[in-house]
Amino acid sequence: MRCWERPLIEIIRLSVNGDSHEIGVPSHYTLLETLRYVLGLTGSKQGCDKGDCGACTVLLDGLPTLSCILPVQEAIGRQVTTIEGLADPDGPHALQDALDLTGGAQCGFCTPGILMSAAALLNVNSSPTRQEIREALSGNLCRCTGYTKIYEAVELAARALREQRPPAEVLRS
Amino acid sequence: MKLEDFRQKQAEKAASQEELRRALESEFQIIGRRLRRTDGLAKATGRAVYTDDISLPGMLHGKILRSPHPHARIVSIDVSAALELEGVHAIITGSDMPVPYGIIPWTRDEYPLCVDKVRHVGDGVAAVAAVDEESAERAIGLIDVEYEVLPYHLDPEAALEDPDTPIHEPRRPGENGNVSKHVHLEFGEVDRLLAESDVIVEGEYYFEGTTHTPIEPHCAIAHFDPGGKLTVWSATQVPHYLHRELARVLDIDVAKVRVVQPPVGGAFGGKSEPFDLEFCVAKLAMITGRPVKILYTREEVFYAHRGRHPMLMRYKTGASKDGRIEAVDARTILDGGGYSSFGLVTTYYSGQLITAPYQMQSYRFDSTRVYTNKPCCGPKRGHGSVQPRFAIEVQLDKIAESLQMDPIELRRRNLLGTDTRTVNEFRVISNGFPQCLEAVERASSWRDKYRKLPYGRGVGVAGSCYISGTNYPIYPNEMPQSAVQLQVDRSGRVAVFCGASEIGQGSDSMLAYIVSEELGVPIDYVRIQSADTDLTPVDLGAYSSRVTFMCGNACIDAARKIKRQVRDAVAEAWGCRPQHVALAGGWAFDRSDTERKLPISEAFNLAEAKFGALGSMGSYNTPKDIHGDYRGGTIGSSPAYSFTAHVAEVSVDPETGFVEVGKIWIAHDCGRALNPILVEGQMEGSAYMGFAEAIMEAHVFKDSGLHNAPSLLDYKIPTSLDTPELESLIIESLDPEGPYGAKEAGEGPLHPSIPAIANAIYDAVGVRMDRLPFTPPRVWAALRERGRLEAAGQLTPWKERSAISQLTAVGD
Amino acid sequence: MLRLHPYEYHRPRELEAALELLKEHAGDVMPIAGGTDLVPNMKHRLFAPGHLVALKGLPELHGIVERQGEIVLGAAESLSSLADHHLVRSHLPSLARAAGAIAHPMIRNQATLGGNICLDTRCTYYNQTFFWREALGFCLKKDGDVCHVVRGGTRCVAAHSADTPPILMALGAKVDTASPEGVRSVELDEFFIADGIWNTQRKPDEIVTRLRVPLPSPGLRTSYQKLRERRSVDFPLLSLALAVGLDGDDRVESIALVVAALGAKPRRIGGLETLAKGERLHDELIEEIARQAYRQSNPLDNIIVDIEWRRAMVPVFVRRAIREALARP
Ligand SMILES: Cc1cc2nc3c(=O)[nH]c(=O)nc-3n(C[C@H](O)[C@H](O)[C@H](O)COP(=O)(O)OP(=O)(O)OC[C@H]3O[C@@H](n4cnc5c(N)ncnc54)[C@H](O)[C@@H]3O)c2cc1C
Ligand code: SF4
Ligand code: FES
Ligand code: FES
Repeated sequence: MRCWERPLIEIIRLSVNGDSHEIGVPSHYTLLETLRYVLGLTGSKQGCDKGDCGACTVLLDGLPTLSCILPVQEAIGRQVTTIEGLADPDGPHALQDALDLTGGAQCGFCTPGILMSAAALLNVNSSPTRQEIREALSGNLCRCTGYTKIYEAVELAARALREQRPPAEVLRS
Repeated sequence: MKLEDFRQKQAEKAASQEELRRALESEFQIIGRRLRRTDGLAKATGRAVYTDDISLPGMLHGKILRSPHPHARIVSIDVSAALELEGVHAIITGSDMPVPYGIIPWTRDEYPLCVDKVRHVGDGVAAVAAVDEESAERAIGLIDVEYEVLPYHLDPEAALEDPDTPIHEPRRPGENGNVSKHVHLEFGEVDRLLAESDVIVEGEYYFEGTTHTPIEPHCAIAHFDPGGKLTVWSATQVPHYLHRELARVLDIDVAKVRVVQPPVGGAFGGKSEPFDLEFCVAKLAMITGRPVKILYTREEVFYAHRGRHPMLMRYKTGASKDGRIEAVDARTILDGGGYSSFGLVTTYYSGQLITAPYQMQSYRFDSTRVYTNKPCCGPKRGHGSVQPRFAIEVQLDKIAESLQMDPIELRRRNLLGTDTRTVNEFRVISNGFPQCLEAVERASSWRDKYRKLPYGRGVGVAGSCYISGTNYPIYPNEMPQSAVQLQVDRSGRVAVFCGASEIGQGSDSMLAYIVSEELGVPIDYVRIQSADTDLTPVDLGAYSSRVTFMCGNACIDAARKIKRQVRDAVAEAWGCRPQHVALAGGWAFDRSDTERKLPISEAFNLAEAKFGALGSMGSYNTPKDIHGDYRGGTIGSSPAYSFTAHVAEVSVDPETGFVEVGKIWIAHDCGRALNPILVEGQMEGSAYMGFAEAIMEAHVFKDSGLHNAPSLLDYKIPTSLDTPELESLIIESLDPEGPYGAKEAGEGPLHPSIPAIANAIYDAVGVRMDRLPFTPPRVWAALRERGRLEAAGQLTPWKERSAISQLTAVGD
Repeated sequence: MLRLHPYEYHRPRELEAALELLKEHAGDVMPIAGGTDLVPNMKHRLFAPGHLVALKGLPELHGIVERQGEIVLGAAESLSSLADHHLVRSHLPSLARAAGAIAHPMIRNQATLGGNICLDTRCTYYNQTFFWREALGFCLKKDGDVCHVVRGGTRCVAAHSADTPPILMALGAKVDTASPEGVRSVELDEFFIADGIWNTQRKPDEIVTRLRVPLPSPGLRTSYQKLRERRSVDFPLLSLALAVGLDGDDRVESIALVVAALGAKPRRIGGLETLAKGERLHDELIEEIARQAYRQSNPLDNIIVDIEWRRAMVPVFVRRAIREALARP
């Protein structure tokens, strides 16, 4: 069967979280394999490896994308943002902080994917309704939380970002 | 930095005078507050390192060859072609590890890789270690296995009646090899009380199998060092049992085995016993001298299974006309799949765990677990009792209906009470069930809704009870069930070592809250090192909702030992009585004069100077004499029981059969909520999971024995758009033996979801859904049948139900 | 993980170059757009081409415009841009709905319209891993010679499971394609054929470049209905598209009803024009249309959800579609 022949290695340039990497990858790698096993960015998770769960969600030019079914070449020339790139050096992103405050991460395995979807939502909609949040997260399966505390986190983060205050302060008020 | 400078920094961060004064007035500083988890930010920023995130230098990758047959004898295995493949380092088969294992010491009936027979599609036959996953996968394709295909059984009743096709050899000659376990117990005079009952309701219920579906697939890595020490990292929830079984099966000194459990990406009972991959990575690492990793594919997770047993339950319940439960008679068949797993316990649990929260005058159950040629069933959140809970709570709804009584009222008339014994002689101390019922009744506006909503909409209620750990460990021993070790640094940092498994439920955080509460250190001074058998004292694992209760008590025990020393040392320095010294908010301070205080690190230093290095061990063991002395009386007995009540509100689309669960009100008696956020998280997650089982999940098989759909696309778990609104109502009954009064919250709150939804569907459209799940085709078919009967005049149209039901006045 | 087989990934920058690659590697090449269907299928070893030709970078396949009485939809446009585009939303609202009901948000960002039109048919015995299919015994569609759905059958009846074709068919869309042999345009109705193994008349080296949809007349009312287990992620268990043209007097001028997720090809319900033309859509007529649709729809066990129920949902959906179409301008 030809599929087992030796893979081709391609040298590609990938921009991930603002870093430009020149790397050699087997040409049949997905973006997820490249992130996790070539770049060592293990924040993006694998739950099904074929598009069904959303654990591997990253942003591609700002749009939530499943890295497990994305041929790595499709990320060339685009901005890839992973969970590791959501925070900035001064501290966690409001969504990360808010999720921690509301208890929206239990086992935490869906969390990176969930937060990337939520971040994309907040980028285009600064005050989403509960229903809009549910829609935006409807490709990210969470098996632990029943989603409630995740919605609360997104709502809290949205408010914190709007009011330019830390989520903890918003929660207290 | 000079010592004084860092003290200054700590003092600035510590509590203010005002806060200290307030601290004196409240019982707790940390316990009961809505706090962050200790691992929340690591998880939210992608920095938490799960098993598959670990990569060791020189690591090989493994794959397991699995059986394509549901039942077959292995005639021969030829690995020669595979071994020749470039990149392949080792191949093992059953004969490399011919030692049976099993979580329950009396029923070890599995091998790391099958030795003589395969018993389900997906059973492991051989394993390869190679330079990469692709080569390993290619190699397993080259292994040639000759099978002698055997007849197989997928249906437990058929397997039961066909001992001539034994899935396992009978334990004793003449026994049926397809019976995994049979339990028959009777309490009180069931037959007489049934005969005397005013109403008798009989029902047959079927609970479809479901599986845990953690989002993280199982993964394990082994490292074998030249000195002969084996280290295994695994996404397990039972590092201690894995530790023992690895040593036993691989025949190495248990002291030279180390099991490390990284954060686990969901488990729900699905990672609570050893699995083939753990033995295989270990053996392959020992053979190759290289680290080896195996990561299950999602499909393999479905074959590993250990999910909820399908159960066929026949119930007969008798009640007096004023609603007293006189007798419950249950016959249950459990479909066990290919192996035992926890099955012995499951079989008992299927009967033992439903004797609360209602008083029963008499009770009998007869449960038979049967082997079938399917992936093995085991413990899933609410182990063993979620299925019979469905049956009994629907039975109660039917009794209420035939007595024309409000179902909440019916439940109230059978309350068990506190400080009492159940019909099967379990000791129950704290019991907040009446408050749970009241809370959901009020929050859901039950009285305005039950039998009063327009056709198509309805509400249903159900209650339940669950254990907070078991009084007896899985292997008999007298040692503590849980232990915690504390070590205090001169900086004020406290390290907590504990074998408990953080699987998302928050056990690490719970330990940090307790230490912070007891020793007065800020939470971020507490470091948790959990679940590493080289470093941490034994805790038996994250199963049967035991961790908060047992580890929590062990942790309090350890912390109070240090607390005593610190107070003594400070009291000596101040010349006051130790009882006057309080530890809180980063200070040791004088209760009678909050101005007199020391930064906590200085207080620790005084204690260290007085007593030597500061550290302590604490442990917890369960009471042993709180159950009946009949055979099996220990199984299901727990130091404390949690209680739950749910009301579910649904709307049913009568044209399509779609059931939309709009909202579930969850009231749960967790004893004390150590952190309400975490408790609510467990309540919501549980209710969600119960809802999912009620409406869509089905772990089912094609006639060929193949799993119907081993993927997250076809095995349906709810998305955010499907999940109902969930409202948590915490009830705190304060158990005298629990840590600060706490019990459990991780499993109990799942139970009532399913029967509450079933009962709500009945309220909405008048059809009894006695088989799970309540998928649209099934509801639609039931509606069609009811429609036929209504049209024939055999049933009153349900649309007129509010007019026909004359409920007994509720409450008063 | 589910590792992919080694292949070479080509990213041509213009259509000509893509066609050239398809020709050059004929027999061992497939086009790939969003990859949301093809990549999972490759992970299941259903396809293993040595070369993939990426279509997303072809400018000729992009753009959503109104031109000469038609809405022209580029085949490489993503489903989310289709669902959100103002021209689609205003002129073809049911298409926007169908596109927005596909899979889930991430997949809609990645997946394309062309890929949806060319979506491989689906079957419970086919969309499984290599291990699973081998354990059962391969079937006609891939590697084997029997059908597990129709025992003894000689034709594959895997289900057409894409959401946009039914409504596009009801709207009278045409498909434009390009291949080394040249360009052509076919009615979407004819594009599909009743063969589950390869359910379009597209040649392996032929690329779908555009979909063209006639601008609907002001009296055209449409609806798209999708039956599925979960409100997100899932493929249709049954889908139904309706386009009914009404005159100023609310009488039916034209009617098209397409039902899919039954067999390999979306089914256009026949005989409705004769039944409904010139009539108002009164209850009895709606019931008659529902009956016709029911009679002509025969779900199969290619999807693991009860076929009797799925069939019974046809009339329910017809009624809902008509009601919705009438309620919406
Ligand atoms: C979890 C999940 C859920 C899904 N749910 C749905 C759903 O509800 N409804 C639905 O319709 N689909 C669904 N899909 C399938 C798929 O995502 C969509 O159908 C999508 O539109 C396919 O487009 P694509 O661009 O990704 O196709 P690709 O995967 O790139 O291609 C699919 C096929 O079409 C061919 N092809 C692609 N573009 C062209 C072209 N322009 N010319 C010629 N050939 C071409 C490819 O060679 C391939 O054979 C789902 C997929 C997943 C993984
Ligand atoms: S319909 Fe028959 S031939 Fe086609 S994919 Fe399904 S089983 Fe195979
Ligand atoms: S891992 Fe990518 S969708 Fe599940
Ligand atoms: S937190 Fe565990 S899957 Fe979402």
